[in-house]
Amino acid sequence: MNFEFNRNILIAADESENAKRAVLYVANLLGGMKGFKVTVLHIVRESEEDYFSDDAQKDKWYKEYRAKTDTVLEEYRQILVDAGFATENVSTRSILRYCPSMAECILSERDKLEYGTLVVGRKGLSRKEEFLFGSISGQIVRTARNCTVWVVE
Amino acid sequence: MSKDFSQESIRKLTAPWFTPPSPGYVFNIYSDTSEFYRIEYGDIVILNDVAYLIRHNAREGRFGLDDEVKFWVKRAIDLNTGETKIIKLVFYEKFTARVGGIDFECFRSPRKEARILDLVKDHANFMHGFSVPDDKGNIVRVLDLIYGKTLADHVRDMSRGMEHETYFYKHFPDILKNFIKCARAILFLHENREKHGDIRRDHILIDRETEYWRWIDFDYNFRHRENMFGYDLFGLGNILMYLAGMGDILIADLKKNNATALNVLGEEDMNIVFNNRVANLKKIYPYIPEGLNRVLMHFSRSANVFYDKTFQLIDDLDDFGSGFFH
Repeated sequence: MNFEFNRNILIAADESENAKRAVLYVANLLGGMKGFKVTVLHIVRESEEDYFSDDAQKDKWYKEYRAKTDTVLEEYRQILVDAGFATENVSTRSILRYCPSMAECILSERDKLEYGTLVVGRKGLSRKEEFLFGSISGQIVRTARNCTVWVVE
Repeated sequence: MSKDFSQESIRKLTAPWFTPPSPGYVFNIYSDTSEFYRIEYGDIVILNDVAYLIRHNAREGRFGLDDEVKFWVKRAIDLNTGETKIIKLVFYEKFTARVGGIDFECFRSPRKEARILDLVKDHANFMHGFSVPDDKGNIVRVLDLIYGKTLADHVRDMSRGMEHETYFYKHFPDILKNFIKCARAILFLHENREKHGDIRRDHILIDRETEYWRWIDFDYNFRHRENMFGYDLFGLGNILMYLAGMGDILIADLKKNNATALNVLGEEDMNIVFNNRVANLKKIYPYIPEGLNRVLMHFSRSANVFYDKTFQLIDDLDDFGSGFFH
């Protein structure tokens, strides 16, 4: 059987501590091993109508947030490179999306880009928080298909 | 051609409803409603070539609003038709809500309410109306007035002095049927990727004319996290508990009135978010059927599985109802 193992890893991350733990986990586990490619994906959730009272406010927020997350993504990239990933095998991607479900948005990116492994951090929500607002990692575990999911505690 | 909104014309149009306080009275006429707090009794608002005579700001009991005066919500008369309307002007407000110790960011969204009004224009379980931009582009909502009580007042008035068991067998079946219709109405929103945003028992008005239960006030929005409908579901669960219990069953009340019930209650019997409300109603009222209690327990601290979609709640209630309704 000619089985080609998919060594492309997608880390879905934001600026949170749990996302950083996911990056560090991949860095520590696979850094220095050959054949793996990593993309750190950050999806900026497009705000709903009226969250900002006008477009100027929205643009200002987006610009500032983008600058902040670009810095964070660069930090993540550096962590992976420092751990032994070749520079050309680490990339970052930040996109703006309307996401009724962040889990769906992440999985849809994974489907498009065909990564074999999806890595997310676990926020550690209380039961009542999970009940009221849902859990991104929980939803990904329940609904992901055609990939392996690592949930980093 | 624009209509004539001269002082003379307005004086004639308003004559059936408004007596000017002095012979030389000059009407304030607004087609830009940005400064809504300046618009008051006897003023005129022009929207899409229709003049509205402003009566007063809305209050609780008339439109399901809270105690304080809402300066951006006006009762008005459409001077074309003579119908009473509720006019909701644009008020951008952002605040942090706290539910069960969890903070989340909320905001008012006139556009969301306008979208939903359009979506539900033929749906009997919602308030009706339309949106119209004023001269400055503010999305003003013009709503039909619903005459009737809030669900909270309805249940309180109906059950005054009544034993729970009598209420449960005599009134609750009809109440549950109406609640299921309201839950289906929320499902309709969810299927259209909209959330109500502020589901509570005083946001259902019981239309005196049609007897339909109708959702009101959909302008609240919040930055949702993963499940954009979880908070709505939580609201539906709270209303169901309130209806099944003939009011909220609070620990403080049990201490006063039914101390023995406290001995059988544990933490796992409480509402998952509100720790002072009982979810396991069967422990208080043993005749509550197991099928209904199972639904309620999805909103308790002992729930292993939560509802994360509204149809799941409705399916379970339908299953229960098929044996319960006569």
